Amino acid sequence: MNALLATLGAVLGLTLVKATPLIYAALGGVLSERSGVVNIGLEGILIAGAFVSVVVSGATGSPVLGACAGVLAGALVAAVLAYAATRLAVDQIVAGTGINIAALAAAAYGLVLIYNQPGASHEVPALGQGGETALIVLAFVAAAVLHVVLSRTPWGLRVRACGEDPGAAESAGIDALRTRFWAVVIGGAIAGLGGVFLSLAELDLYSDGMTAGRGFIALAAVIFGRWTPFGATGAALFFGFFAALQYSLQRAGVPSELMQALPYLAALVALAGFAGRVRAPAADGVPFVRP
Amino acid sequence: MKVFARNRALRDLAITLVVVFGVGSLAMLFAHVSPVVGFGALFDGAFGTKEEFAETLVQATNLLFPALGIAIAFRAGLFNIGAEGQLILGGLAAGWLGAEFPLPGYLAVPMVLVAGALAGGVWGAIPGFLRARFGANEVIATLMLNVVATLLATYLVGGPLAQAGGGDQETATLPKAAQLPDLLANSRLTWAFLIGLAVAFGLRWVLRRTVFGYELRAAGDAPEAARRAGIDLGRTALVAMALAGALAGLGGATIVAGVLHRFNTGLSPGYGFIAIAVALVGNLDPLWILLAALAFGMLQSGGVAMQAEAAVPREVVSLVTGLVIIALAGRRVLATRRTT
Repeated sequence: MNALLATLGAVLGLTLVKATPLIYAALGGVLSERSGVVNIGLEGILIAGAFVSVVVSGATGSPVLGACAGVLAGALVAAVLAYAATRLAVDQIVAGTGINIAALAAAAYGLVLIYNQPGASHEVPALGQGGETALIVLAFVAAAVLHVVLSRTPWGLRVRACGEDPGAAESAGIDALRTRFWAVVIGGAIAGLGGVFLSLAELDLYSDGMTAGRGFIALAAVIFGRWTPFGATGAALFFGFFAALQYSLQRAGVPSELMQALPYLAALVALAGFAGRVRAPAADGVPFVRP
Repeated sequence: MKVFARNRALRDLAITLVVVFGVGSLAMLFAHVSPVVGFGALFDGAFGTKEEFAETLVQATNLLFPALGIAIAFRAGLFNIGAEGQLILGGLAAGWLGAEFPLPGYLAVPMVLVAGALAGGVWGAIPGFLRARFGANEVIATLMLNVVATLLATYLVGGPLAQAGGGDQETATLPKAAQLPDLLANSRLTWAFLIGLAVAFGLRWVLRRTVFGYELRAAGDAPEAARRAGIDLGRTALVAMALAGALAGLGGATIVAGVLHRFNTGLSPGYGFIAIAVALVGNLDPLWILLAALAFGMLQSGGVAMQAEAAVPREVVSLVTGLVIIALAGRRVLATRRTT
């Protein structure tokens, strides 16, 4: 009985660790999409947060400074998408795809330039156990704050208005382009923290491919969570739970590939409308051009 | 400058060149390499010898098929990010059937290619169906199916389709009869290149001269008008996505039958994603895409030499590819893309 409880405790603990970066990325995605900008670039933002935080932590010796830099890097990468999606009214999906490719390559290039070796950075001062716990707790706080901001504050109302009908929002005096821009940038900062968690809390280095598609799983969590902060957090926990179970189930004969595919299959099911009514913000992904 | 304002294709080409050489040079300077030396090594590696030029054509071919598929979907107003997954499953079907159930003589190669196209087509048809039937956003669906395809291939090759003779992550070698014939000795250039040329020209003809091509373009350019004119948008989406998947799957099959002679989970270094850049730079027109594929094929094959000769990490090629995609995301053709 005690052994069972210990196993359960270990799985739940691992669930939180696996879910936290997904929660941050998914929250960033929720904020961005509620403003009407589809953020395919979450994967690239995670990479930027993870890579830059390691570099700055290594250079300054301060993991906290590193974490701040990672958040800033996420916001900056998101700003590229935000500028393209608002002022230039480009195709958001295409731009986001480009961001993912460019961020992965830039980090790989940076590894060679800075550490003179391909594949992985050196070990750097990390946030440690305390920092990891703090970031896990902060993820849930962030979900609650985002919920309140979106549903209870004037800015949140403006964000949602821009996601549903930017034209109507503009005639009500809201600057839709500016609102979308900042929603995407702040969303990028939140998602950047997910990258920081991966490299400075779970580990103490950056290695190529360490984000391993978590940005796409987060995108699935946004959809499965019906574009709400709590829904996305729940979906991220659900996916994190299966990621944590993966090792135990693999021993029981369940192919690990099936477990890894689960988030994506769940998102497909949700997209097709098999999991209840799922509706994206009406103007999600539609560039807004002032008449 | 007037010519740029009038001709978007030329303007996009100019943007592309600025990004590739501008950012590429900057990245090389960061690595303390003169851009002249870096790009010199790249061009030399891509065109220096007959064999190196052949490898450029091989890379161009590998990019051409998925790029054509992406372009077809775009022309129908759909974004197919799923070319990578379609290409991988096409390659898996080709590699497995070709090695396990080889047909005799001249039938072997066609069967391998058809198997690849069918597998890719089915994988492309799934998001097309979800879109036509349930209105599911094809972008997210293809994105998700990419990962599922990679996982499925890894699972099948490692388990149910595991070969006694093959390695851990690959199928057994294709018999000689099922391999595409070489075009040039000491190179990996095969008939795949000629097939690619034929498919590109054929696709251009289909788009411009057939009822199906007209309906497809109408659905992409003006979906509402197309619907009122009696074009079944759901069916068009389904067929366009299936065709897009089939093209990418055919690409995977040519890599298996021409280049690797077996399926390997590392079959594609991201051809399905680089192909997005190829399709955009190629103005979504099959003939321009041929040229764009050649240019990006050059970056791929020359990048290896650049890393070896000039000590520039070849990630710079992926970096400029990603930036080209961002820079060209504003094309007007895409602005009409149906969103949901």
